[in-house]
Amino acid sequence: MVQTLNLVFSNHFYIVLSVVIFTFMLIGLLILSEYVFLDPYIIGHISQGTEFGFVLIVILSILSALVIPMNIYRINILKKSKGKMSGSVFSSFIGSIAGACSCGPIGFVVVSTFGSVGATTLAFLTSFELPIRIGAIALLAFTYYATVKSLKIECEVR
Amino acid sequence: MNKKGILVGIVILLVIISVITVYSSSSVETENLDVMPPGMISTAMGSSVLGNPSAQITIVEFGDYQCHQCYNWFHDTKSTVFQNYVDTGKVNFVFMDLAFLGLDSPKAAQASYCAEDQGKYWEYHNQLYTAQESQIDNGWANSERLKAFAFSLGLDMELFDSCFDSGKYTKRVQYNIAEAKKLGANGTPTFFIVGPDGQQQKLVGAQPYSVFKQVLDSMI
Repeated sequence: MVQTLNLVFSNHFYIVLSVVIFTFMLIGLLILSEYVFLDPYIIGHISQGTEFGFVLIVILSILSALVIPMNIYRINILKKSKGKMSGSVFSSFIGSIAGACSCGPIGFVVVSTFGSVGATTLAFLTSFELPIRIGAIALLAFTYYATVKSLKIECEVR
Repeated sequence: MNKKGILVGIVILLVIISVITVYSSSSVETENLDVMPPGMISTAMGSSVLGNPSAQITIVEFGDYQCHQCYNWFHDTKSTVFQNYVDTGKVNFVFMDLAFLGLDSPKAAQASYCAEDQGKYWEYHNQLYTAQESQIDNGWANSERLKAFAFSLGLDMELFDSCFDSGKYTKRVQYNIAEAKKLGANGTPTFFIVGPDGQQQKLVGAQPYSVFKQVLDSMI
């Protein structure tokens, strides 16, 4: 596993890509989920009972920052199929939108624009925020495992 | 999908996240209401004033009874703000409805005004934020439960049912929602802190006590 990580992240491009993905996801999700406020002061705040949600966001960001660059490497270097890539991007996206809408401006726009359909979707994403994020993390973890395994085999063959 | 397509997909994902992030922050920054003239918030259709009616500063909260961030603010921050500012007479507080999250949200808001008819608005308000469940429209605030809350507070159920079933306060809640939209409140909770000289500070989200303290202290 460490060998595979060294292999991918020995190239600076993938390190930069990983840092960019992690930063964007972490900061974006922390703002959307109201763990970080920008106005009138920049301040971080974890409400009582929301600690688990915070941990899930950090795990989701770390896994996305690992799995997406590894799959890009796999496609670029080994010219392999994009199945795992799609899975990782999908998981990251689903994990990101779960709960990100909630009571904030995004949710308001969704309800205002799409009416009852938007409200139903919003209610679902908000109500099942944690299970959806856990599901996304599980999918990313599986993709990570499968990617490491296939990279190991493919690189040994080459 | 070729290699290029995959990379484009990644870029799109990042762009979506950035747009959402920028939207979230810019909507806050561009609607700073410091320059808004006094008297722009019509709270006549909101709750009664809680605290010293002649206080120089008013906190107006736009909230939804099904919003979990409102729940977080209610349980984490409100008591400290009240202890230090409302109970001491420096600030008063008004709640207005931005009931948009689910079908039961406007009903809960209407029920709160039916409780107000019997002088128990704030008790009912507190009851709703205490009983809130994490899932929206899962039945915790349906008509039967709203009536049960009224019953548990000892309200006259004949009066309450008559008020609630007739939709007496439908328009009042709609007015509050319209007022929120007019003010640019597009999420819950959104707070407008109105100072003695009419200056207003908008706070979006369940911000911590330290933020309220800084804003309120700067106005006192």
